[in-house]
Amino acid sequence: MRPRTKALVAAGSGIAAGLAGLALTALPAGADDDPVLPAIGAEELVTSALAAEPPAFAGVAEVQNELGLPALPATTGTESAAELLDFDEVRVFHDSEENARVQVERRTSELTFVKNANEAWAYDSKKNAAKHVTWDDADVAAARERAGAWTADGMTDGMADPSQAAAEIIERLRPTSDMVVDGTARVADRAAYELVLTPKPSEKTLLREITVAIDEETRVPLRFDVYANGRSEPVLSLGFVEFEVGAQDAGLFEFTPPEGAEVETTDAGDAARAAGERAGAEDIEQSTTTVGDGWDAVVVGEAPAEAPSEAPAEYGQDLDGLLGQFGEPVSGEFGSGTHVQITVGGVILTDDGRFAAGAVPQQVLVDALDGQ
Amino acid sequence: MTTLPTADTALSGTLPARRRAPIVRLLRAEIRWIFRRPRTLVVLGLLAALPVITGVAVNLTVDPGASAPPGPGPIGPGGEAPIFVTMATSAFVLPLGSLMTLLILMLPLTVAMAGGDALAGEQSTGALRGWLLAPVARGRLLVVKSVGVLAVALVASALVVTSGLVTGLVLAGTDGLVSMSGTELSVGDVLWRLAFAIAWSTVYLMGVGAVALAISASTEHPMLVVVSVLGGLIVSQVLLQFSALDWLHPYLLPTSVNSLVDLIRDPVSFDGLAEGAVRALCYLVIGMSLAYARLTTKDG
Repeated sequence: MRPRTKALVAAGSGIAAGLAGLALTALPAGADDDPVLPAIGAEELVTSALAAEPPAFAGVAEVQNELGLPALPATTGTESAAELLDFDEVRVFHDSEENARVQVERRTSELTFVKNANEAWAYDSKKNAAKHVTWDDADVAAARERAGAWTADGMTDGMADPSQAAAEIIERLRPTSDMVVDGTARVADRAAYELVLTPKPSEKTLLREITVAIDEETRVPLRFDVYANGRSEPVLSLGFVEFEVGAQDAGLFEFTPPEGAEVETTDAGDAARAAGERAGAEDIEQSTTTVGDGWDAVVVGEAPAEAPSEAPAEYGQDLDGLLGQFGEPVSGEFGSGTHVQITVGGVILTDDGRFAAGAVPQQVLVDALDGQ
Repeated sequence: MTTLPTADTALSGTLPARRRAPIVRLLRAEIRWIFRRPRTLVVLGLLAALPVITGVAVNLTVDPGASAPPGPGPIGPGGEAPIFVTMATSAFVLPLGSLMTLLILMLPLTVAMAGGDALAGEQSTGALRGWLLAPVARGRLLVVKSVGVLAVALVASALVVTSGLVTGLVLAGTDGLVSMSGTELSVGDVLWRLAFAIAWSTVYLMGVGAVALAISASTEHPMLVVVSVLGGLIVSQVLLQFSALDWLHPYLLPTSVNSLVDLIRDPVSFDGLAEGAVRALCYLVIGMSLAYARLTTKDG
């Protein structure tokens, strides 16, 4: 009987060890208890996060998307939103100064973005094509000036001071939202504070709350979760699963396109001037208006007229059919249209080419259109 | 199996003397035995031919203009261009792409065949009887048989990669040694990545081989071993298609194969590959312990 017991012991322990090992690979990392951290107020946390300089780090981020985006067929040259979010993971490298490298990894291809002191590259392995943007110090100064003008215009000029900026942001959010530090969490095996933003009960939104996990040590936001009403799991979660602070190899921030790749070079200064002449951004601003504020703000505007013509004919013909498939017809004082709903919001496209979009239920969109 | 030192060990009778039986000679005999089987040679020949066929076929379909950039390659049936079409026939992507494709079924099939022959096959022809009656510890018998399977796994992986590398070098020279992140790689860089791929694939295949040995030890039909292993792999791959079974995927061996793509990225991220290796080792432990348990209780 001895060989038999030996065999049983060998089989039993081997299977147990193997299954335990497999279970270990299946366990999500950092499932430990929440860390104990000194208490901190929301305002103080936001201030410190705004003041903090990002350290040199290498990280891996993942996205989980339960938005329920309709899978529209991709048109040539563009990708539908659902496809843009379809990647395995993103690797991020940063050197605490102006250099950064981001690699968006898909199953069989990769998008690589490299930015250093005076150029930026975007390389798409599927198309073997690279976009190259260069700028010089004068462009940087001009950009700063524009940014300065924008902040002075839109916000108080105290934006440069983090504590004032934090106070400003919280002050702006106060009428519509509650912001609290709700405990701690372990993200990418690091201790982090959970900053929670919830809409006030008066807000007519589909969103329940937004949480941002802020690293205790470096004050870098590590994870961003959006929760919708009636769901316990986040509908959109973007966060690091690995985050390691440390100096990065300088070679990571240099990029030379491979031989044979299509390279398209633009100069940031020229591009900005050209954009200024076209004033495209302002056009969009003028053609849309915002109804309401806070969480139930609805953007109403004219659908861009040239969009349908870009779509290839075979899709263009069924665009209406597709809308019918994903959306449901609505009508009101504004006329009639189609309502497409995803978990965090919705869009109404009216038959006369207008749209209204927001993180709100259908009735609020209809009211916004009616009010126009 | 005439190499067994039966007379010596029977006479000396002491344990240490028996432990010193020439295992190297047993291993050499086993490996010679495996690589003299015509079926092993035929399968290995096929494995070596497939990267060549892929390379030549892709080279013919993709615009052969030397200076023209490959551009967006022909789109695969799934709408997404398979990696070894987008990067054409480079000496870097062709071996890795071939290895990944063959790891889905062909390489596991080869290993399962070797595992099936090792115990069940010899049992059915009566060759195992000599082993079981001889004073060779059953554990060492299993070691010898596992090393035989390991040799097949290593040779098969190395053959696929080498054949792909040579085909790529003939078709494209050292052009196009480009990572998916757009960086050009030196020949040395490419070689260590390929060597790593061979090592990883061997570990993966040993996970399959250990399960094959466990089944092999409990039956005398080598065909049953091959069928069960392939059936298991196909079922696993079907289960992998269901996102509702996410929780199950880390337990399935084929989950790891896609991690090989990470070797084409720059810098290489080893997380997925390390996890895959751990997963294969877990299967190895389970398979080996079952094979051992079955073998020690087997009657001559």
